[in-house]
Amino acid sequence: MKKIFYKILVCLSATIIFFSCKKDNYPEPQETLKGSVVDAATGEPVLTDQGSEGTRIRLRELSWKETTVPDNFDFYCMKEGIFQDTKIFQGHYNVRIDGAFIPLLRKNIQGDTLADETKYVDIKGVTEVEFKVQPFLKVEWIGEPTVSNGKITATVKITRAVSPADFKEKIEPMGDYSDDMLNVTDLRLFVSEVPFVGYRDWDNRYSTESDYGGNSFDAQLGQPVTLTTQGTIPAGRTVFIRAAARINYATENIKRHNYNEAKRIDLP
Amino acid sequence: MKLKYLLLSILVSGSSLISCKKGYLDIAPMNVVQDKDLFSNEAGMAVYLSRIYSQMPFEDFKYSPARQFFDDWLVTPGANEGASLGRDAGTAMTSEGWARNGPYWGRAFNLLRDANYLIENLPDYKSNFSQEIYNHYIGEGYFARAMVFYALAKRYGGMPLVTSVLKYPEVSADKLEIPRSTEEETWNQVLSDFDSAIIMLSPVSPKRGYANKYVAYGFKSEAMLFAGSVAKYNKITGLGDKTGVRVIGFDPGTAAAASKKYFREAYNAAREIMKSGKYSLYKKKWSANDKEAQYQNMVDMFFDISSPENIYIKEYQYPDLTHGFDAYNIPRQLMGGNGYSAGNCPTLDFVELFDGFAKNPDSTIKVFDNKGTYTMFDNVTDIFANAEPRLRANVILPGDVFKGEVMEVRRGIFTGDASNGISPLRVVNGSAPNYTVSGPSNYNEVDAYKAVGAFAGKKSLFLSQNGTTHETVVLPNGTTMNGGGKNGPFTSDATCAMTGFMIRKWLNPNMPQTLVLEARSEQFFILMRYAEILLNAAEAASELMLAGEAAPAGDDFQQIAFDAIKDIRERAGAYPLTAPLTGQPGLEIIRKERRKELGFENKTLWDIRRWRTQHSDVLNGFTQSDGAYYKGLYPFYSSTTGKYFFDAGLDEGRRRFRLTEQEYYLLIPDGEVAKSPVIDQQPGR
Repeated sequence: MKKIFYKILVCLSATIIFFSCKKDNYPEPQETLKGSVVDAATGEPVLTDQGSEGTRIRLRELSWKETTVPDNFDFYCMKEGIFQDTKIFQGHYNVRIDGAFIPLLRKNIQGDTLADETKYVDIKGVTEVEFKVQPFLKVEWIGEPTVSNGKITATVKITRAVSPADFKEKIEPMGDYSDDMLNVTDLRLFVSEVPFVGYRDWDNRYSTESDYGGNSFDAQLGQPVTLTTQGTIPAGRTVFIRAAARINYATENIKRHNYNEAKRIDLP
Repeated sequence: MKLKYLLLSILVSGSSLISCKKGYLDIAPMNVVQDKDLFSNEAGMAVYLSRIYSQMPFEDFKYSPARQFFDDWLVTPGANEGASLGRDAGTAMTSEGWARNGPYWGRAFNLLRDANYLIENLPDYKSNFSQEIYNHYIGEGYFARAMVFYALAKRYGGMPLVTSVLKYPEVSADKLEIPRSTEEETWNQVLSDFDSAIIMLSPVSPKRGYANKYVAYGFKSEAMLFAGSVAKYNKITGLGDKTGVRVIGFDPGTAAAASKKYFREAYNAAREIMKSGKYSLYKKKWSANDKEAQYQNMVDMFFDISSPENIYIKEYQYPDLTHGFDAYNIPRQLMGGNGYSAGNCPTLDFVELFDGFAKNPDSTIKVFDNKGTYTMFDNVTDIFANAEPRLRANVILPGDVFKGEVMEVRRGIFTGDASNGISPLRVVNGSAPNYTVSGPSNYNEVDAYKAVGAFAGKKSLFLSQNGTTHETVVLPNGTTMNGGGKNGPFTSDATCAMTGFMIRKWLNPNMPQTLVLEARSEQFFILMRYAEILLNAAEAASELMLAGEAAPAGDDFQQIAFDAIKDIRERAGAYPLTAPLTGQPGLEIIRKERRKELGFENKTLWDIRRWRTQHSDVLNGFTQSDGAYYKGLYPFYSSTTGKYFFDAGLDEGRRRFRLTEQEYYLLIPDGEVAKSPVIDQQPGR
């Protein structure tokens, strides 16, 4: 009885195997898109968190006609402000990025396009793109962080990377504008045990956050601000730290931080 | 071998028969129930409505965000709203159906079709019924549709408004695609469907379990409060990629007016129920100044089917339709045969909302005396001896009695010297006490347990690993005591009172121990009760006052809101309401009362979402947008004094609740977006 059962099973599975015999009619995706996100004013890379609150790259294949509206294909920028995808189908694409900078695609409240600074590229072989954007804030280290009693003290400087006038000129036509959008809401010193430190990877036992209401941070713009981690990081640990700040403005419904580069700290 | 050929030939002949020409078999199948059978009399309609009701998105004993509707496994209402934690539950709601069943989508459209079918086809059979009952059935169709659109709108925002039966395959699928409407249009559809239901439904349910006019008023007031709050507080909006429609959020130009409109609808609907005089707060056993009676009254009201407070309940009956609330949530001490227990442990944050025990100026519970050492209690029950009766009706507190047994809740035994008081326990390596998130998470990490620091060489804290592995202490009187109580909390087994509390609300106090099993509970769930109507009226009145709106003739917003909260507090045995509820502080008082009254009823989660406070409220130093934690209250026994003390602090398991602002709108299932040329994903995601 059992034998017959197995024979039937084999017959069935053979049938199933034959069903999947049709060859896939597309070559595997092997084109590469490489890119970088730089500050239009300075040419410096725009550093970001690595995750859904960081810089998002959205590809839409316009040469694909089977769907009337192309599907979104999203991936996220590396923390250094560069991105790469090596498995893309050859074709014509719209490449859009969103992050802590003036949106490249700006629409008014009725949905009419005011400006479209996204890129339309043919991706073939290795295609490189560079996005020049206007980040909201620039976060810089001042001097080297110091360590004492398991606490790290670091000094940072926050400046506006886009002038309030420029911000208003570009954001106001999108509707529902208020000057409050320009205010810095929080400044953080993220601590993590991995180099990918940021909003999606931080140890909240040690990380520090300062919140600011209204325009109360304005006086500290351009001034050195000293931040100290919380708790006591055990001796001998290696941690990575990064400072981040954001303004009261959401791109694609997320208020994103601007970052400085991660630093490795070996606690003595 | 012969058998193989036999099977093969059967298969071959079987498949050739399928190709029979249609035509002469084209008659209505005799074994399938037809419209004319169902729409002919009340018995047939009962069958049709049973099907509708079995698909209704009721958030009861068969609903959890993790497993969505119609699934009673591990149901622990409260575990996603911050009112409780549990071994298998306790996260912010960032999606639905992640554990199984998937998001609420397909099932919604099935029910919409059944409701639309009823509304479109019953008119052909109108002569079979009296006018009144015919109207009622049509009203049931609108009620079901309103409930579905409401359930969808609060999850996704704007929805495809399917308001007629889509004829497939007569019309090809691509012609039947319906894009998502704006969120505002969707709420307007909810409003209009509830209004149609209210006009058509009978004032009294013609059959037990059917809706009626006042049920529809009740859910209308709840839905409109949701809509008004979203219009006022939501900040997430955008236009769909495919359609350019504002599928989430309100147009900034219309939001304020829409908010006022919806709050007024919520207020008026609640007032219709209040003015009808048909319902009242349950006070059968209530007696002024008698806390025991007030407590018992609030326990009984969840089991008294004749309660005048019940506007709408979902009934269960063994063996036809059952759930497992008792099996999953029973105290560990009374664990049932399936081995589940204490799935729903109230947080200290929830308990601290209530009155009647010592608190610090920041309204956290006071467990230290003025010297910074623990306040000592002769009995474990003393700390909550004068607590608000409603708290005890919601929560089993340490040492409370349940099913005739004292519920033993004890984290451990402290054997150290107590002559100069006991210093805070959460100390590591002799450093200062640390109650922040960087402090010790489990009591097996502290100095008193590890015999280091001030306790060097003197182990002074004894804990239980789980329900069977205990560290024991011989007490001065010679008896031996386990570190942990019968309900824990234990060091590494979370099927216990992990926060120091267990749920009492909904637990059947009379269920025999042998029946505490999965799929064996049959108590009803109250989907809508009069207390919520009072809270809806008060909140809507408060919002309308804040918006500068005038009250309808004969009503005084201030008075209505005040009386509603006063009555609820009085019944609950809480501190009486004295000052008028004015402005934003008044609204905050109403919201707090709502959280206290409706905890564990699948309401609070939606409240904190519609207020848009879930991501931004500061909880123990963190917000949910960054990741936040809840607290527990851990009782300890001091063996040298024979007294109890309590340590309040972050949940030992450090369960992290994280919700970003855009997650107020759940993702549309990816497959639905991919396969449709018109269904938009949430803008920005």
